Amino acid sequence: MDRRVALIKTFSRGLPTDRVKLEVSAYGFEFLSQLRIRGIQLEYGELTLSNVLHKYKLTNLTESQLDELLEWHVAKLCNVCLYFDRRANSVFSFNLDNNYAQGGSHLIPEVQIAVRTLVERLNEVNCKLLVVASGRGYHVWCRLATAVPNERLYPFMVHAAAGSLLVLQQRGLDTNNMKFNLYPDIRIQDLVSLRLFGSKHAKNHVFSCILDGEVLLDEEASWAYFEDYVENRAVPLDTFNSAYDTLVKFPP
Amino acid sequence: MKTIAVDLDDTLNNFTQTLWETPFAYHERYAVEPGAFGEYLDRLRTQPLAVEALLSTEFAYFRAKIHLECYRRAEARADGIAFMQWLKREGWRIVICTHRDLRTSYDATRTWLADNGIPFDYIFRAGNKIVFCKLWGIDILVDDNLFNILYGGQHGVRVFYPVNDQNRDVQGGGARGFETFDQVRPWIAE
Repeated sequence: MDRRVALIKTFSRGLPTDRVKLEVSAYGFEFLSQLRIRGIQLEYGELTLSNVLHKYKLTNLTESQLDELLEWHVAKLCNVCLYFDRRANSVFSFNLDNNYAQGGSHLIPEVQIAVRTLVERLNEVNCKLLVVASGRGYHVWCRLATAVPNERLYPFMVHAAAGSLLVLQQRGLDTNNMKFNLYPDIRIQDLVSLRLFGSKHAKNHVFSCILDGEVLLDEEASWAYFEDYVENRAVPLDTFNSAYDTLVKFPP
Repeated sequence: MKTIAVDLDDTLNNFTQTLWETPFAYHERYAVEPGAFGEYLDRLRTQPLAVEALLSTEFAYFRAKIHLECYRRAEARADGIAFMQWLKREGWRIVICTHRDLRTSYDATRTWLADNGIPFDYIFRAGNKIVFCKLWGIDILVDDNLFNILYGGQHGVRVFYPVNDQNRDVQGGGARGFETFDQVRPWIAE
């Protein structure tokens, strides 16, 4: 198995492996037949006009089929997006993005400030983050050593996100200009998925590099950072619990 | 294999009528202030095609919630059900082609189709259905959308549409309007 695939599998351990959202340029009824022959079910498909990209929600995957898709993912032939567990997860993520419907392909100051304050805030409570530049925004991941119930993860994320938005407001910026999506989101369990690190963004076809402080790493350095993150920076449960108390139970 | 793409809202069902006639009552699940509820509902009914500058807003969330209720409540056209069942018997490959956000509405959509006995092979969301049909080699689209009615023919997609107040006077495009789905059966055989 490709070392990068093994790292992604370790990183995403605990997320459901029997379903994915696959973003790929492949399409056609023959393509769907090939999936069906292999026992993979298509729930629904979607055609976006971003570079004529097709998205497929696939279910009933075996682990080896997911491994194969991850091989394609790191080879930049597709994007694999995983769903989150309905009950508990050992990774969670903030998706910060530009909220403009049109002409919003660039990074806006609101997103830049929000990601910086989010990272600072969570670093203060010893939650080590993996910040991935994604299109016009960022995926801010945190990996835990143990799965935590969603009912506990979600308020933690809400408080962390609210802290970032508060800073925007204090600086006179409009918080409506950016989106702050949370994964897992207890309101829409099992409905939304998030693209894994290690591939190109579907819209701009640029490898999604990792942000280390203020420095955007290149692809090779991003993989090295990811490896170190996966192997050494999982947040222990007692650290998370302490962070939870700081942000949720006794917020500043 | 013969393949046909069929729209859902205001084609196989009475979505707009449901949106207007359902007596929606305020509930906190809509995540809006009581004072904004009526204004938002009115906006949703009277400006269905309004383009929003921002993607994620309080109104967008409200709209998604109300639309989801309409997807569940809308009534299927009896002649539409019979048409879809006829297509299946005749060996057509049926693609449900919709603008709905299937991330949040897939379960409701699938349940509604099953409850109404409407057969299908695939469900797709397409921002531009003409592009979708061209890419997937689908020659026939049944859809009420004005854009598709006007431009499908130019791109080799034969469009058949249920006649309604919005498209009754449409000229050009080569699309054909129908009052009942029964009319479509011989047309798609041509």
